[in-house]
Amino acid sequence: MNMREKIEAAAARYPDQRSAIMPALLIAQKEYGHLPGPVLEEVADILDVERIWVYELATFYTLFHTEPVGMFHLQLCDNLSCMLRGSEDLLSHLEAVLGINRGDTTPDGLFTLSTVECLGACEMAPVMQLGDDYHGDLDIARIDALLDGLRAVTAQATGADFAASAPPGA
Amino acid sequence: MVSITINQQTLEVEPGSTVLQAAERLGIDIPTFCYLKRLPALASCRMCLVEVEGQRRLQPSCATAVTDGMVVRTNTPLIDETRSSMLDMLLANHPLDCPICDKGGECELQDLVMAYGPRESRFRDAKRVFHSRDIRLSPVIIMNVNRCIQCQRCVRMCEEVVGAVALGTVEKGMDTAVTGFEGSLASCDQCGNCVEVCPVGALMSFPYRYKARPWDLAETDTVCPHCGTGCQLTVGTRKGEFMRVRSKADHGVNRETLCVRGRFGLDFVMSRERIKRPMVRRDDALVPVSWEEAGDYLQGRLSAVEGKAAGGLASPRLPNEVLYQFQKVMRTVFRTNNIDSASRWSTPFDTLGPLVAAFYTRAPLEEVIGNDCVLVVGGNVTDENPVTEYLLRDGARRRRTGLLMLSARPSRLDADARVVVRVAPGGEAASIAAVVAALVAAAGQALPANMRAGIDGRATHPDSDEPGRLATALLEGGSVTVLVSADLLRPPLARATLQQLHNLLQVLRALGKGLAVQFLFDRANQLGAWDMGVLPAALPGLRAVADDTARTTLERAWGAQIPSEPGADFDAMLELCDTGQMGALYIAASDPVMSYPDREFVQRALRAADLLIVQDAFLTDTAGLADVVLPAASYGEESGTFTNNEGRIQKVCKFREPTFAARGNLAIFDFVAGLRNPSLRSSVQSEIFDEIARLVPAYAGLTLTGLGSEGAFTRASLVPPGGAFFTPPPASSTATDRLMLMTGNCLFHNGYLSEHSEILNTVADDPYVEMGAWDAVQLGLQEGDQVVVRSAQGELTAQLKVNKHFPKGLVFVPENYRALRLNALMRRGEYPCPVDVQKAQAVFEIAAVAAAGTGPENLR
Amino acid sequence: MFKPVLLMNVDVPDGHLLATYLAGGGYQALAKALHEHTPDEIIDLVKQSNLRGRGGAGFPTGMKWSFVPTRADKPKYLCCNADEGEPGTFKDRIIMERDPHQLLEGLAISGYAIGAETAYVYIRGEYALAIRRLEQAIAEAHAKGYLGPRILGSDFNFVVHIHCGAGAYICGEETAMLDSLEGKRAQPRLKPPFPAVEGLYASPTVINNVETLACVPHIIARGPDWFRGIGPDKSPGPKLYCMSGQVRKPGLYELPMGIPLRELVQECAGGPLPGRKIKAVIPGGVSAPLIPASGLDVAMDFDSLAAAGSMLGSAGVIVIDDSACMVKVATRIIEFFHHESCGKCTPCREGLNWVVKVLRRVEAGQGGAGDLEQLEALCKGIFGNTFCALGDGAAMGLRAALTHFEHEFVAHIEARRCPFH
Ligand SMILES: Cc1cc2nc3c(=O)[nH]c(=O)nc-3n(C[C@H](O)[C@H](O)[C@H](O)COP(=O)(O)O)c2cc1C
Ligand code: SF4
Ligand code: FES
Repeated sequence: MNMREKIEAAAARYPDQRSAIMPALLIAQKEYGHLPGPVLEEVADILDVERIWVYELATFYTLFHTEPVGMFHLQLCDNLSCMLRGSEDLLSHLEAVLGINRGDTTPDGLFTLSTVECLGACEMAPVMQLGDDYHGDLDIARIDALLDGLRAVTAQATGADFAASAPPGA
Repeated sequence: MVSITINQQTLEVEPGSTVLQAAERLGIDIPTFCYLKRLPALASCRMCLVEVEGQRRLQPSCATAVTDGMVVRTNTPLIDETRSSMLDMLLANHPLDCPICDKGGECELQDLVMAYGPRESRFRDAKRVFHSRDIRLSPVIIMNVNRCIQCQRCVRMCEEVVGAVALGTVEKGMDTAVTGFEGSLASCDQCGNCVEVCPVGALMSFPYRYKARPWDLAETDTVCPHCGTGCQLTVGTRKGEFMRVRSKADHGVNRETLCVRGRFGLDFVMSRERIKRPMVRRDDALVPVSWEEAGDYLQGRLSAVEGKAAGGLASPRLPNEVLYQFQKVMRTVFRTNNIDSASRWSTPFDTLGPLVAAFYTRAPLEEVIGNDCVLVVGGNVTDENPVTEYLLRDGARRRRTGLLMLSARPSRLDADARVVVRVAPGGEAASIAAVVAALVAAAGQALPANMRAGIDGRATHPDSDEPGRLATALLEGGSVTVLVSADLLRPPLARATLQQLHNLLQVLRALGKGLAVQFLFDRANQLGAWDMGVLPAALPGLRAVADDTARTTLERAWGAQIPSEPGADFDAMLELCDTGQMGALYIAASDPVMSYPDREFVQRALRAADLLIVQDAFLTDTAGLADVVLPAASYGEESGTFTNNEGRIQKVCKFREPTFAARGNLAIFDFVAGLRNPSLRSSVQSEIFDEIARLVPAYAGLTLTGLGSEGAFTRASLVPPGGAFFTPPPASSTATDRLMLMTGNCLFHNGYLSEHSEILNTVADDPYVEMGAWDAVQLGLQEGDQVVVRSAQGELTAQLKVNKHFPKGLVFVPENYRALRLNALMRRGEYPCPVDVQKAQAVFEIAAVAAAGTGPENLR
Repeated sequence: MFKPVLLMNVDVPDGHLLATYLAGGGYQALAKALHEHTPDEIIDLVKQSNLRGRGGAGFPTGMKWSFVPTRADKPKYLCCNADEGEPGTFKDRIIMERDPHQLLEGLAISGYAIGAETAYVYIRGEYALAIRRLEQAIAEAHAKGYLGPRILGSDFNFVVHIHCGAGAYICGEETAMLDSLEGKRAQPRLKPPFPAVEGLYASPTVINNVETLACVPHIIARGPDWFRGIGPDKSPGPKLYCMSGQVRKPGLYELPMGIPLRELVQECAGGPLPGRKIKAVIPGGVSAPLIPASGLDVAMDFDSLAAAGSMLGSAGVIVIDDSACMVKVATRIIEFFHHESCGKCTPCREGLNWVVKVLRRVEAGQGGAGDLEQLEALCKGIFGNTFCALGDGAAMGLRAALTHFEHEFVAHIEARRCPFH
């Protein structure tokens, strides 16, 4: 199914097209990676709803990104349960290793580092979401292993040596 | 009724009333921000919290329904503290840049802080700043988000009242900001209602920016000169200079709303195209002269045409007093009934008169749209009468009125309609006939036998069952309101349309429906013009010229004879000109060269009149042909009254002096009439008003001072309909395989007056041609293409807009763009006008090729 | 020993598959409901069970269902609140990941009871695995006739749709969820009208939490008396407790309602980390005011916790030990609410922003005289005056921290630094 068909299929679940804006934005974001203005217009046109409604939702919900994000979006939970189990140290570590502050993307476009509110997985605090997956019971060693794994995957996929482009301190 | 006690005062209120409403009736002030009277409560600002006995928490009075025996307090220390605390929180991040804020002096936040707020703020952290420079959302709207207090009035106004859905709210929590799609309001209505309801200086009018402090403004309450809705507004001037327009919050049919034309389209009074001095024709050129010279010249020319026919055309935008005096001068001084007030085509009074006499409902729109069904016939109410449309939307959404639309032009209101009948261009009469037939068929024995026999129940709509659904909806409702667009009254087909409407109304009445009928005029005082007798066949009070009693009454009052034969309508007057029979043609504030079909013919005819007198505020194309041009006061420069679509008469007030040598219209009539009859008394507006109240039955008993802040309703007792039934028009009155050109007003303009407004010209689209997607595809055309529209008479070129709601075959060009000379395409007596549409590229392509060939590279 | 009911299949391999669910007696309650009871009888059974909503407010479920008008002029909707955004809470995720059919069976029975043919499960977008599992379960149940038209040969038609959230805690508030489902910015709605009368698309709508719905099949299968026999009579049933924070064995535990908090913390969750002492416990997600270590003998049910000045909320129990700075804990909690405030009402939007600024200052050792009074005053301006319970939760949480740990705030101000650093 192309994007339009997927969106139309999602819209069929509701008696009102406007309800389908959220699912449509999720679909569009999967397609384009993020949601710039022209994509919002496309979604509005497919659903035949007001553009401003689409814009409102794309900015209200934190899972929608109107700006580009890195290939790997590291979303570290820093809410209370994770904080009590050391998420702050993990954040400092990640910032140092990636050479960016939270909220930023590495210059190579590989990593975006965010902190997020409770992921609903406090039993494995501290926890981080990466793509669809949760990584729990984190400590510095596990984080490093995870990052190494990601770099290896990309290096393999692109043939480039991403380790070399890693910032100092990595 | 339920009883409520607020601060020890007890009151009975309607069940469902809110505590806030009850308090208001007791004169108890409760501060509010998010509350908008016309919309359901939002209850988000928490300013209006009150103590309700038996409730643990404070309750928002705007959203709390009164229950019987409820005891409320609004004056306790806890309430004082809470109000102050809410204001303190709002001020925490507010920039407090009042000295450079346009709202200073009329800011609700300022006022409430004065009344209830903290005397000092304990907030000592950095304030949130969204941006350092104000954001220009559109040519007329500028935004300072830092000042916004999130009351959401603007967004709700835009979506729920105006229906534009241009403004919205982005982000959440403290980052919440009001804005348009991607930060722009380029495609909004520019009505400025968001600016009007903004309690602080967040949304501001760009044209008024940094112009004045409210306390420096002289404010004049008056009525909008654009369409027939008749919105009240307040004009602010400073030292005689026009500054801005605001709506009046609690008054008029419009309350706090206006449309773009009312709010931003009054700067036309400052137009550079104003006529500065009288002019007379010498050696085929118009030369400026003094009033005395003009008088001498005119006297000579008038006596030369003494025995010949005369005629007069006046604009339905002039006040009642001016119109009344115009027809009186025409009838008594020029001794003619050749009087008209129509634009585009003359209205067939033989059909119109009986319909108006039998059905026109002079009552508040607010009331008539509360009927079970409202049928809107013809035109595009969104564009032509925007504020009426707001009320219709409200009726459909909140009052559950069944909205029924029947028109060739789609409108935004269709989205809220229960049934939409999209008719082919010019097919209104046939569609109404189909509705009537369906009604008759469904009602059967419920209708009197003569009606069943008189109406041809076989008329069916060629290709849709919508008329049937519309009929079903009409049958379900106990009460029906029919609103008729002025657009249907003006084409040559008007007679057929009015006849079918007449059938429809008779059937509805026979079915026992509570019935209300109003027209949706696009000129501010069209109903007034009719009432004042600016018609060839009717005297003031819409009484036939042939009616001896009516005539004698007027003759006695005026001390002069009135010709007893109906006069010529404007079309016939042009005919008289063209055949060399017209002596003096007197045109007041009208521009037939622009508005009457067949521009060339109109020009030829006007040139053929012996003497053409044009009295106008603006130098129109018609004035350019005149022998004598008399500079008149524009709207805003003389006082009077308008009668709007509702039949409500309201005061139009002067807010500045006539510019240059311009004089009031009444004074000019005196001037002209005095040349023929020096014994005439000079006319005074208030005296004319009293005369109208004496002589025009619908205005009986009205006094100028009695026109309060809501105006007053004229009252006409309806006469029973004549009982005649009309046969449906021939099935296909228009060829269906041709593109048919129709015209009307676009949202940003109204007739030809609004193009004198610089502000409107900056927000309005460039001249455009609109057609449906299907036709565009057939012709290989796309949105934005330059296209040529060609008729048998002429052609025009403009940009194409594709509207997917258009019916097949419809081409629409707004009448408002003078540069298009739209009437040059139209033939007299033919409307809609068959046209061809083509891409205008040919010329450009040649130019492009030429340019490529002679580019710098080739030269080298 | 209490035998798990809701978590029965959770540790079973392939617990999320229909076959596993059926093997454990799954969908028999649905069959029983459809074949042996009228919708009204189901509502009565649930009423008799005294089941109270597990989403936080503890509203009696049967009563909520009985508010749905019986008129049939509009469709009725059932919405499952699977937004689970309350920090410290993860029970609904685990049910959906490991035993989704339990939820679907609960949905079908509840839909039958209230006359709804459509259900939307509003599930937070982060829960990718739960979403996948639920989708799969819906497909399986459809294929086998436990969902869809004429379920199990009855006249009852029922479809379940998933609606993914996109990251906004406020969507857990039931009326904000309805606005979100309608494609609007999620902001709470004015009540009345209550959702049961005018909810989704202005139609009668019931909103229930995942765990609440998961209880329903068991009540039908084993009877209301069985259910009421577990825990306190007014607040009975098996209950999921989410244990997190500074304890040895964080995790999800199913025990009777009303179990003492101390037992939960000390025995189930293994007590404090080595060498640490418990300082405070948040019993029901961060919206629930914290309880100092001295108060751990409270019973974990709606009424007892309310009497103790806190609430059961989502039963997300967060344990805080003596290594934590309470100013920091309070700041983090208020930052959460501030971040998640929808922005609709003044006190929550503006007030929490102000509170956060003061708290951050105090925590950084830059607080001054009058700051605590200012926080008090802000709490007063916020509490009870916000549009929905989010703002209240924040104010109550801050108040509890200020009341029980005032000395830590004072220490920050006086020492001009955080004593825990
Ligand atoms: C700010 C706020 C957040 C909420 N979040 C949730 C939530 O994540 N999950 C939930 O089930 N209920 C949540 N609720 C409670 C719901 O509004 C509602 O009471 C509940 O879903 C009803 O279901 P129940 O009766 O089964 O508990 C929240 C309430 C508020 C005020
Ligand atoms: S308390 Fe007010 S601003 Fe906060 S979440 Fe509720 S409605 Fe929104
Ligand atoms: S006016 Fe009542 S809450 Fe805003």
